[in-house]
Amino acid sequence: MTNDTGLKAGVYKETLLRGLWRENPVFRLLLGMCPTLAVTVAVKPALTMGLSVIFVLLCSNIVVSIIRKLLKPHLRILMFTVTIATFVTIADLFLKAYVPRMSEMLGPYVPLIIVNCIIICRAEACASKSSLGVSIIDAAGMGVGFTLTLCVLAGIREILSTGAVFEVAILSLQSQGGWFVPLAAMSMPVGAFITLGLLLGLVNTITKRKTKG
Amino acid sequence: MVKVKYFVQQSWLLIVVSFCFGLLIAVANAAWQDRILQNEEDKFNNLAKGMLTEAASFETMVEDAEAESLKGKKIKINIKRAINAGGKCVGWAFSCEGSGFADKIKLVLAVDGSFGKITGFGILSSNETPGFGDQIKNPYYRNQFAGVPAEELELSKTGPSEKIDSEIIAISGATVSSESVIKIINHYVEQVKKQLQSRGLVADDK
Repeated sequence: MTNDTGLKAGVYKETLLRGLWRENPVFRLLLGMCPTLAVTVAVKPALTMGLSVIFVLLCSNIVVSIIRKLLKPHLRILMFTVTIATFVTIADLFLKAYVPRMSEMLGPYVPLIIVNCIIICRAEACASKSSLGVSIIDAAGMGVGFTLTLCVLAGIREILSTGAVFEVAILSLQSQGGWFVPLAAMSMPVGAFITLGLLLGLVNTITKRKTKG
Repeated sequence: MVKVKYFVQQSWLLIVVSFCFGLLIAVANAAWQDRILQNEEDKFNNLAKGMLTEAASFETMVEDAEAESLKGKKIKINIKRAINAGGKCVGWAFSCEGSGFADKIKLVLAVDGSFGKITGFGILSSNETPGFGDQIKNPYYRNQFAGVPAEELELSKTGPSEKIDSEIIAISGATVSSESVIKIINHYVEQVKKQLQSRGLVADDK
C-alpha cells in the first residue's frame, strides 16, 4: 500500500516537472506560438493570457478525463473542441466583465485559445488516457510552464521597449533625463521573434550541456 | 431504424455534453452581461467626459440612428447628449469607426452643444503600429482637434500644430493613420449633424 502511494506521488511529481521544464510547451514542444508571439508585449497581458490558459486547460482536462471511457475514437476531436470552446467562452466573458482593460488588450487572442495546440494536445496525449488526478497535475504543470515562459518573454520585451516591468518603471528613460533609449522594435512582432529565438537557443544550449554532463 | 440507432449510439454523448455546455455558457452570460454592457458604457462616458469637461451626465438622445459606414454599408449609431449640472445641453458624443493602417479604428467623437465645433476625439480601440500609428492617441495630434470647426477637415504634412483650424498636421511616419482619423471624422460629423437637424435637436445652418 505504501509502495503504491509512493509510486503515485512519483508519477505526480514527474508529470508536474514535465510541463515545467522537460516538455515545456513553448521552449521544448514549440506549441501555442500564436499567443506566445502576440501577447508578450508586456507582462500584464501575458499573465492574464497565462491564467486564462491554466483555467481552460484545467477544466478541459478534468472533463475529458471524466468522460474518457465513453469517448468514441472518431468523435473525440469534436468532443475536445466543444469542451475547450465552452471554457474559453466563459473565460472571455469573465475577462470582459471584470478586467475589461486586459480583455481589450488581448483582443481576439482570448477566443483564439480555442485553437491553442497546447490544450488539445494535453486532452489527446494525457487526459483521454489518464486518471483524473494525473490529468489535473498535468494541466497544472503545463499551464504554469506556459505562463512562466510567457512572463519571461514579456518581461524581457517590456523592459527593453518601455524601461518598465509590470508597468513599474525600472530604467530611467532618456526623455525624462535618464540614459535608457526605449527600443520600439521590441514591442513589435520583430521583437517577439528575436526574443523567442534567443531564448530557444539558450534553452537548447542548457539542455545539451545537461545531457552531456 | 438500424441507422437511427447507430447514430444515437455514436453521438449521444456529444449531444448531452453540448446541451450541458450550452446551459453553462447561458448561465455565465446571464450573470455577467449587465456588467459587460456597463463597462462599455463607462468607457464611452469617461472618454467623452474628457472632451466635454462641463458635462455631468450623458443621455442617449437618438438610438439606432441610420448612418452609412465608410465602406457604404448601412449601420446604426447611438448619439448621446451631454448635460451639465444645471440640465443644459453642453455637447454631443457618438462613436464611429473606419479602417486604419493595421486594423479598425473606433473613436468617440465629441462636438459642442450647437454642433459648431469639434471638442475632440477619444480612441475606443485601435491597433496601429507601436511607435508610429499609435501616436494618434498622443496630445501632439489629438490637441489639434480641440475646437476645430465641425466641417471638412484636411490633412497637411507640415505646418504649425498649435494653430487650431481645419488643417490638421500629420504625424510624421504615420500618414495613413493620421489620414484615417480625419476620414472617419469627416464622414460621420456631417451625417450626425443631419440626423440631429432633421429631429430639430440642433439649429439648421443659415
